[in-house]
Amino acid sequence: MRLSISHDTTYHYDDQVRGSIQYLRMTPHDSERQQVIDWQLKLPRPTRAQLDPYGNILHVLTLDEPHESIVISASGQVVIDEQREAEHEAQSPLPFLRFTRLTEADEALRAFARQQCAARQDRHGLIDLMHALNAHISYQPGSTVVDTSAAQAFAGGQGVCQDHAHAFLACARSLGIPARYVSGYLFTDSHDHLASHAWAEAWVDGAWYSFDVTNCLARPERHLKLAVGLDYLDACPVRGMRRGGGGEQMCAHVLVSPVLRVQQQ
Amino acid sequence: MPRAFYDEMHLASGECRSHYREFARWLADTPTELLAQRRREADLLFHRAGITFTLYGDDQGTERLIPFDIIPRSIPASEWRIVERGCIQRVQALNMFLADLYHDQRIIKAGIVPAEQVLANEGYQMAMQGLDLHRNIYAHIAGVDLVRDGDGSYYVLEDNLRTPSGVSYMLEDRKMMMRLFPELFAAQRIAPVNHYPNLLLDTLKSSSPLDNPTVVVLTPGRFNSAYFEHAFLAREMGVELVEGADLFVRDDKLYMRTTAGAKQVDVVYRRLDDAFLDPLAFNPDSMLGVPGLLACYRSGNVVLANAIGTGVADDKSIYPYVDEMIRFYLSEEPILKNVPTWQCRKPADLSHVLANLPDLVVKETQGSGGYGMLVGPAATKAEIEAFRARLIARPEAYIAQPTLCLSTCPTFVENGIAPRHIDLRPFVLSGKETRIVPGGLTRVALREGSLVVNSSQGGGTKDTWVVED
Repeated sequence: MRLSISHDTTYHYDDQVRGSIQYLRMTPHDSERQQVIDWQLKLPRPTRAQLDPYGNILHVLTLDEPHESIVISASGQVVIDEQREAEHEAQSPLPFLRFTRLTEADEALRAFARQQCAARQDRHGLIDLMHALNAHISYQPGSTVVDTSAAQAFAGGQGVCQDHAHAFLACARSLGIPARYVSGYLFTDSHDHLASHAWAEAWVDGAWYSFDVTNCLARPERHLKLAVGLDYLDACPVRGMRRGGGGEQMCAHVLVSPVLRVQQQ
Repeated sequence: MPRAFYDEMHLASGECRSHYREFARWLADTPTELLAQRRREADLLFHRAGITFTLYGDDQGTERLIPFDIIPRSIPASEWRIVERGCIQRVQALNMFLADLYHDQRIIKAGIVPAEQVLANEGYQMAMQGLDLHRNIYAHIAGVDLVRDGDGSYYVLEDNLRTPSGVSYMLEDRKMMMRLFPELFAAQRIAPVNHYPNLLLDTLKSSSPLDNPTVVVLTPGRFNSAYFEHAFLAREMGVELVEGADLFVRDDKLYMRTTAGAKQVDVVYRRLDDAFLDPLAFNPDSMLGVPGLLACYRSGNVVLANAIGTGVADDKSIYPYVDEMIRFYLSEEPILKNVPTWQCRKPADLSHVLANLPDLVVKETQGSGGYGMLVGPAATKAEIEAFRARLIARPEAYIAQPTLCLSTCPTFVENGIAPRHIDLRPFVLSGKETRIVPGGLTRVALREGSLVVNSSQGGGTKDTWVVED
């Protein structure tokens, strides 16, 4: 499937911002599952791309002239190989066993993971876990905030895709299975779910497999991966700081749509 | 009854050891009144110089003096040369271990260190994977904590490869002794230590590929327990002392704000933990770091000393493997001994530890500063039982060691002079070469019978002499 993405983000500030710096992970890279046909990231000033600790493509945008708004626009086309489920990697998955503040597994999450996976610590067990978490944490936009932890969302029984992914990571890691956070885009037919999306990957049978708790999908057919990390903080598309500016309004517009293939003669 | 402790000054017969003879003669000849007066003078001078230490977890929350004892800890030069070689060997191996871990991981492939133990360790930083550092040095400044057992042999208690502190006390203690008792330094050859700031600056400069890099000291600020030391070292080296807010990143380069405008910074001697360095990459709540610093560091535009991710090598769960590291990387036998260590994550080790708690010292693998440890022989029954519960709940978070009979050194206490337990922290500098100033910081446990020398736990310090014998 060939996806066309256009993602515009505009930040408006109440007052003038004296300076700002942003870590941007808004550029996908080629992998076994996805092939980037073309991609453009338009920023207020030219910025060199580099790799972050997890191998994601990172742009560091520094603005030290006063500004009242920032416009970031990413767009491009990516081909997703729908047949391929797993992604192989030479790097050891073991660093993804570690808990973070957002993915700490409390006793409730540990017990839930044990109960759902029982003795089956394989892909099937994790698929059951995915379904169970989807049932336990209902999708409720606005029910959680950006620094809600897995344990808090699990206890509250409500959350968004970020919370679903965190809860899955906490459970998988508590079982000794390396798991990581994925941020990216999802193509959906409905308007229920935002096209910017988050899901999880777990290391089973020597490769990374996807688990989208929010949509109960274990096949990442419609998922375009932007970045991975230990949790949201490592992989999120934008993480920034600024001096001055007062209040902020962020407006994001994402459009993910399939591109009809031109029939080959 | 056999003699339990090794006394630094006296032989078992009560006779004075040869390297202490000059001092003992002086002590006997000096009137008690004069000594008392000089000790009061020392307290006053330390107070005036602002050499203080902030205590964590104390509601008074304020600074206090670290007690200084005027009886020095003395080491014969022949003995020191062995300790020196041992510390250098150890730090070289640890730096090679870090370079290996963040590149080829040969030591894991060779089956010497278990993969999970290092890679899933909190101190292991993905940000360092594959990153090449100038001279392959990670721990530019290391503090190796040494103690002596009953027979006088030296043991390494732990390696400090993150932001070891205490060197300012080493320097100030010497200054104080020379000021109060100049005659002692005229009477015998005591190796100087006052060139440490020069060596440190030289080490920091040589950590950068540039010819004359701009160096700064980055402090968390005046509420940090070691703030005095950060200010002291910056002043002694003649470089800027900065806080995170004084620095900023633009286009992957680090700058400091100065009255003359922005100035690029090439080397940061940071006294700030990894988690606080860059709020955009690590702890987002950190107000102490510099947003963008990690990307700038990974682009090779600034050197951090010490490097990020050294904590994986001084973790107490990695400590048991240091002997093997020395053999693996240097093909040498370890010069200094490791304390036998039980790793509570191993079921057999755990059951041994649980059965012998009253005799053991139990430490958190990630702990430092003497917080959260159990000294079995000195603990009450209730304390032991409380610790047992913590051990059972999280065995992987603890290691245990036999209680060592730490050596003692005569020390001024309320009613005269009495033996008190001591340790030693030499500071190892790794740059073009690996160097140590003779001696280090001697800490003394002032409470009778106490084995905990940390200043946060009521420890004091002594001047440390290396004396030609």
